[in-house]
Amino acid sequence: MNTAAPMDIPRWKTALNMMINPGEVIKTQMTKIPWPYSVMVSGLSFTLFFLQTGLDMLKAGQIGASTVILITVLGLLYGTVGIVLLAVMVWALSQAGERGYTLEWAISTFALGYSATFVYALSGLIFSLAFGWKTAVAFGVTGVLWALRPTLYTIKQMSGERVAFSIAMTTLCGAILLIGWAVLGKFAG
Amino acid sequence: MDTRLGYAQGAGPGGVKLWPAYLCFMIFGVLIPFSKPDYKFTTVIYSLLIAIVVGLMAINVLILVFNSGNAALRQTDGGFAREAVGTGMLFMIPFTVLAIIALAVLGWNAVMPFASAAITTAAATAGAEAMKRGAQGTKNVMIPTLVAMVLSTVWMMLTSILP
Repeated sequence: MNTAAPMDIPRWKTALNMMINPGEVIKTQMTKIPWPYSVMVSGLSFTLFFLQTGLDMLKAGQIGASTVILITVLGLLYGTVGIVLLAVMVWALSQAGERGYTLEWAISTFALGYSATFVYALSGLIFSLAFGWKTAVAFGVTGVLWALRPTLYTIKQMSGERVAFSIAMTTLCGAILLIGWAVLGKFAG
Repeated sequence: MDTRLGYAQGAGPGGVKLWPAYLCFMIFGVLIPFSKPDYKFTTVIYSLLIAIVVGLMAINVLILVFNSGNAALRQTDGGFAREAVGTGMLFMIPFTVLAIIALAVLGWNAVMPFASAAITTAAATAGAEAMKRGAQGTKNVMIPTLVAMVLSTVWMMLTSILP
């Protein structure tokens, strides 16, 4: 684990840097970010993503306004409880504890990786509300895909640079997230 | 017995495997026509050829960029660029698998965002791998990312005009 004293960088900048240079952020800046802050970022990202899903279904006449609220709440749970559980699973499977990475560090790093999802989800919501576009797949899924890069770096770091393991776990995490989103959308609809 | 199975190790130039990257490009090439409402067999062939050309360009341009930007490192380790690109491009695999799941299991007609994210992430990871091998400067991440973005845009435009 990197023990170098991190510079005093604002948290929002660290969240943005996670999209541009995740490798550097994971190695040097994550000790400054408390896990509730990161979980708030992932929670907000998936809340907006699921809200767009609900709005898309509302526009298609598949559901009513109350179901949109239900889907949005599911998104909040997905982005908080779901991401934390995913981080715990990856932390345990990669035996990161043996390399000095705490569970809090793993949750925080894993969750902050979804800052890219937040930017895409926010942009998508603007287009959805302003122009009436269907944005869940175009913006939401793309946002989840761009979060795979920080996820990949986090798993690489936790697993001691095991490339094959990182690829397999990143694929698993991405598949769980996408299939979970599709299943929840159908369940709510 | 090798107890470090799956760890990144220094490979000689002969040991670098680029075929997984080419395979990912080819899979994307085959998948892209299936995400269109209407396609012919020739569409799949054209798409596959475009994907192979984009793959060849991506890999060779990245090797060229790393070699030309790190002349001193090239003198001491001639195969570093190929190794970095070979390892970095492996990270197209998660996106390729997810694209297959999205199309075959979830029935989404959106393969190109997966391909675009795959090529850009893999190129940036190749840059990070080059830096790990001694390449200096963030240009090693920024230029490959830019190259990947240009190539994925060209790829997207070419697939949109497929017959």
